[in-house]
Amino acid sequence: MTNSVFSADLLPIHALIEAEQQAFIADEGGRKRAGYFCAYTPPEILNAAGLRHARLFKAGSPEIVSQGERYTQSVFCDFSKSCIGAFDKEGGDPFYHAVDKLYTFHTCASMKRAAEVIEQFVPTTLLNLPRLRNEAASRDFFRSEILHYRDDVAELVGRAVTDSEVSAQIALYNKVRRLLRDFSELRKRPNPPLTGLDFLELVRGFYYLPPATLLTAYEKLYQKLARTHDDGSRPIRLMISGSIMADGDRRLVELIEREIGARVVVEDHCTGYRPFAHTLREDGDPFAALADGYLDQAPCARMKPLDDSLDFSTGLAEEYGVDGVIYVYLKFCACYGVSKLEFLDRLTASGVPVLEISSDYSVSDIGQLKTRVEAFLEVLQGQRDDRIETNSKEHVHG
Amino acid sequence: MKANDVFGDDLVATLPQITTIGVDIGSRQAKAALIGGGSVHTAITASGVDSQETADRLVNRLLRQAGVTRDDLGFVVGTGYGRIALSYEDVPTTIVTEISCHAMGAHALNRGTRTIIDIGGQDAKAIRVDPENGRVIEFIMNDKCAAGTGRFLERIAELLGYTLEELGERSLESDKKIDISSQCVVFAESEVISLKAKGERPQDIAAAIHLASARRVRNLVNRLGLDPEIVFCGGVSNNLGMKQALESLVGHPFTTPKLDMVYAGAVGAAVLAQRHYQAGHA
Repeated sequence: MTNSVFSADLLPIHALIEAEQQAFIADEGGRKRAGYFCAYTPPEILNAAGLRHARLFKAGSPEIVSQGERYTQSVFCDFSKSCIGAFDKEGGDPFYHAVDKLYTFHTCASMKRAAEVIEQFVPTTLLNLPRLRNEAASRDFFRSEILHYRDDVAELVGRAVTDSEVSAQIALYNKVRRLLRDFSELRKRPNPPLTGLDFLELVRGFYYLPPATLLTAYEKLYQKLARTHDDGSRPIRLMISGSIMADGDRRLVELIEREIGARVVVEDHCTGYRPFAHTLREDGDPFAALADGYLDQAPCARMKPLDDSLDFSTGLAEEYGVDGVIYVYLKFCACYGVSKLEFLDRLTASGVPVLEISSDYSVSDIGQLKTRVEAFLEVLQGQRDDRIETNSKEHVHG
Repeated sequence: MKANDVFGDDLVATLPQITTIGVDIGSRQAKAALIGGGSVHTAITASGVDSQETADRLVNRLLRQAGVTRDDLGFVVGTGYGRIALSYEDVPTTIVTEISCHAMGAHALNRGTRTIIDIGGQDAKAIRVDPENGRVIEFIMNDKCAAGTGRFLERIAELLGYTLEELGERSLESDKKIDISSQCVVFAESEVISLKAKGERPQDIAAAIHLASARRVRNLVNRLGLDPEIVFCGGVSNNLGMKQALESLVGHPFTTPKLDMVYAGAVGAAVLAQRHYQAGHA
């Protein structure tokens, strides 16, 4: 990110992230570097092994997409193309080139195929993620996959990863997730002290920074934000729901917050609030805790039953008192593109206006994107004005 | 035209006695409407490179038509694809999306409007309108796919050796049903070329293109429910072949207001300008 789109308060955190990424590329300290794609990959194990690690979700550049497109059909989503393109030795991303080992829990069909292409660039371990999240057998199976993952990580670092190390990391990450929930909680205020762009930057930090570094910096920021004085403005409140919003894909939120002046107050996607909604058990078998915790997290739309995802989405919209939802998915997304009608219908039925946007990383549709978002906000503003008018009338006559 | 004829007495009675203009800069054509002195005036031109310059030209033309001066102007609302570039120092101006303007325009021109299908130069949209006040309830708009839009039909007309007006009219002469399977502009184009090579009549190909485009638009807008009365707006609303194809797919005839619906957005903008003026002088 070249120009900062988040508030000045986050500059120190942004600087930490940039420094960590430089250290990752420069191989400072000579620690092995692991990468992963999906929010179903427990970083607890990577951190327990003392690896440098990062979630790989940089995307948004059309050049990287076309780089990846050389290996796929056109009907892969731009994110999966970007993952391949970034690993490609010619013209890829130096951050991805620095990865010694890639872990990927079987996400969607496109990402699985992407990982199989990427195998030619970097050693990759593909792990299974059961989709039927409520079945007991899924939990046992996922636990055994997490054990495979631990063994693979142990081999990478050349030493055993102990149960107590993993347990300690579960407790540490719980603390971090709780803190991010606290940040998000501040957005329930009528005038949130942090923007949606700010929260996305905090999520970047979660996926790039070592948790201990993160806690120190974030706790300080939280204290500051919590004390922010309410200047009385009441921006229109939006939830973004749908597929991944990559690190580098900021144009929708920038449009909403910086051009139109509304606020994203919560995200129902795996690169916003959603990965922080759960807390893991801290006692007993740490691997069972990881399996249960990650299967019980607010589910991605590829998990079954889909009703769980729909319930979470509508519940979140209500909890944060949003005026409207923008449901945005990447073109060709096999999860969020296909289940869009279920989401749209359920949210509409719950009384929340929804705008559907299918998006990619090209720039040619910015005009249409702007028209749609602006018109949606005109509708929401009109509804809010009506409510205020009705309330004041009731007040006069009451 | 007399405002009372175009809008009806009830709406005119609620408007302030002031002159306002709505400017709708579309991707292909720029439209403007003036409301004032009991009349409605309209003007249209090709969208230039410079939106402000195009708008100035339209505004000056309307002022001449209405026989008023710039000083008489109470408010201007800019809308359409080129709306962002609009600003005037001497007249209060605001920018509203074409979705809200089309809704207000179709409401002002026909009070029973519940659904608008709007097909312009590069986009297609459906809007659910509150018949009480002309406000948008819900809308759907295509993304960057141009199938079925004005630009696409222009290209097909060229291929068939028709003007854009002829494309619609001649398609009504079709007596043979051809299936065009492709929904993509690029593929539909090559399908048209091979149909021509097979010796199919251009009238039949034109009808097939309209049906395929209408199907695509119908699929896009279906989720809104499409309650009557339905009004067809935008440049493509003048294409009779497209209108007929859409009506047959939707299963309901469209209501035709008293004004060319290419002006719906501009008229809506001018009505909103009246309301803005009113709010500022209450």
